[in-house]
Amino acid sequence: MNTLKEIFSYRQMISSLVRRDLRGRYKGSFLGFLWTFINPLLQLLVYTAVFSLILRTNIERYYLYLFVGLIPWIFFSSSLTGGAASVVAQKDLIKKIYFPRQVIPISYVTSCFINMLLSFIAVFAVMIVSGAGIYFPGLVCLPVIMAAEYLLALGAALLTSAVTVYFRDLEHILGIFSMAWMYMTPIMYDRSIVPQRLMPVFRLNPMTHVIECYRAVLYYKCMPDMKGLLSAAGLGIVFLVAGHFVFLKLQKRFAEEL
Amino acid sequence: MNAIEVKDITKSFRIYPDKGSQLKEKLLFRKRNRHEVRQVLKGISFTVEKGCSLGLIGHNGCGKSTTLKLLTKIIYPDSGEIKINGRVSSLLELGAGFHPDMTGRENIYTNASIFGLTKKETDARIRDIIDFSELGEFIDDPVRTYSSGMYMRLAFAVAINVDADILLIDEILAVGDANFQTKCFDRLRELKAEGTSMILVTHDLSSVEKFCDRAIWLNDGVICREGKAAEVVDAYYSFMNRRKAENSAPVPAVEEAPPAEETSPAPADDADEMDYSANRFGMRYIEITSVCMRDASGKDTRIFTTGDSLSIEINYKVNRPLDEYVFGFGFYTIEGACLYGNNTQLDRLKISPGTDTGTVAVDIPHLPLLAGKYALNAAIVDKDGTPMDFYRKYCSFEVVSDDRSEGYISIDHKWRTIR
Repeated sequence: MNTLKEIFSYRQMISSLVRRDLRGRYKGSFLGFLWTFINPLLQLLVYTAVFSLILRTNIERYYLYLFVGLIPWIFFSSSLTGGAASVVAQKDLIKKIYFPRQVIPISYVTSCFINMLLSFIAVFAVMIVSGAGIYFPGLVCLPVIMAAEYLLALGAALLTSAVTVYFRDLEHILGIFSMAWMYMTPIMYDRSIVPQRLMPVFRLNPMTHVIECYRAVLYYKCMPDMKGLLSAAGLGIVFLVAGHFVFLKLQKRFAEEL
Repeated sequence: MNAIEVKDITKSFRIYPDKGSQLKEKLLFRKRNRHEVRQVLKGISFTVEKGCSLGLIGHNGCGKSTTLKLLTKIIYPDSGEIKINGRVSSLLELGAGFHPDMTGRENIYTNASIFGLTKKETDARIRDIIDFSELGEFIDDPVRTYSSGMYMRLAFAVAINVDADILLIDEILAVGDANFQTKCFDRLRELKAEGTSMILVTHDLSSVEKFCDRAIWLNDGVICREGKAAEVVDAYYSFMNRRKAENSAPVPAVEEAPPAEETSPAPADDADEMDYSANRFGMRYIEITSVCMRDASGKDTRIFTTGDSLSIEINYKVNRPLDEYVFGFGFYTIEGACLYGNNTQLDRLKISPGTDTGTVAVDIPHLPLLAGKYALNAAIVDKDGTPMDFYRKYCSFEVVSDDRSEGYISIDHKWRTIR
């Protein structure tokens, strides 16, 4: 509880780190902040090309189907892999001054989150331009889904960032791990094509629920499956609590290990 | 009320001779991961009252900086307890977290946020911070364009203006020019008067004495002495002197003054041909073979204590006998200024050595030189002053002292008030 209070009192630091990160990310590049939109759009282009020209799915408006899942996934996977490196990257700060160490993964995940929110501008643009339209009642659920995903991402980042300090290989392992995770989550395909015996794995995967909730609201234009939403939020809280305790335990020797 | 209470803290560090944190290394070289444990702090307790300032002194590696890091919570103690009442600001690593591409003003906000200030709190202080940093219009330039002095001034200005209850300071005197340093000290005094507690870690003993109420002398992870700043500093000072003198190994003179044949220019046959600017010159009818300096205990050394006795022995060898020689010695500063010089002729002493080898010694019962490094000259000339063997800077030697006066010479004195 004290830790939470302390982290809250450092909210200014979180916000300045987030701002620094967002401003610094595309600094010096010609297109600058536009990359926030261009990058996911280009990724979308690649995947759409592969899946509608070569692997041919029969999903209607596949680009949108993919897009509404891909953007949340990019947020989660960058929190996982980038978040792992975040504490090590700030070692100068950690070795020199005191502040609650959680501030670093929190700011990193938050800046990824804001990036996702900005990318959603592109998502809505695609929805309107393509004529798919927006389902307004579903939008009420969107913040809840996002919050659940934020908790998940933060829990993962707390865990990986603390472990990476002691075990630097994790950063590289996570690269491949997050790729595998992406393919084990129904982002590019529908869960209906998943073999029945693999279904338990998919059900345990919190990102399955998250992605499907997004898709329900933004693609299928219906209310998300409440059970799925609740289990996503529940798993998010479990992730966060676990990540928090591991972080708390490991952070004591950060300054010595870095 | 106590601002800081430290109870019996210990801290060890793991020292890895060859650290591997990659998986491959962890699996393959499991043995390599064996580490030594070095205990840096071995049970330290102290308290700092509110508004009090404490100096931590001790030689390198005694645990001062570790103690400060523990107080800032950058690292945690293995055992023991640290209680801190109030906001801590540390001047340990000034400017940590500055972003080179952001302007000075933006960095003030970021840096202040690292100390736990909200934007509103920083807004209220920004004027003071900018004024103190003396950066003026440069405040809106990116920090990367700053000189290192400007950078430090800005960092110091932020750290000192966050209204901390406790300030931890590590070697602050490296900040800026003399004027800015004075300003920093004045500001620290003001803060102290307002009730800010401080802990100062430094090697500059005079600033501990001037600035701190109390001091702790750490040695090898334990508190060696604790008390009024001046007393602790004095005790530490004389301990360091003693240790320096004890640790000095006797120096064989040959090392510093190699035999004449090898390195010195050949003896001149004629006084006119002599190179007076050389380190060693002379006709060499008589030659200095070695000079040894003995301290009060008779040990051949190069470290002496002010007020103790010192003997200089000049060993010589006669090549061509003359009927009279003049032996002399001189003390010089390292820069080459003569502090004292004398010889047997000035002292009206006639020395007519035989035809062989021998030693002439001069005894100084109370060495009046103050702490510092000095050079010794030794010379033998004939009675008309023609150099026979003249050694400039035969060797250098060091003087340690409890007398902390300025200058080179210790002068006996006593103060009194007349009215």
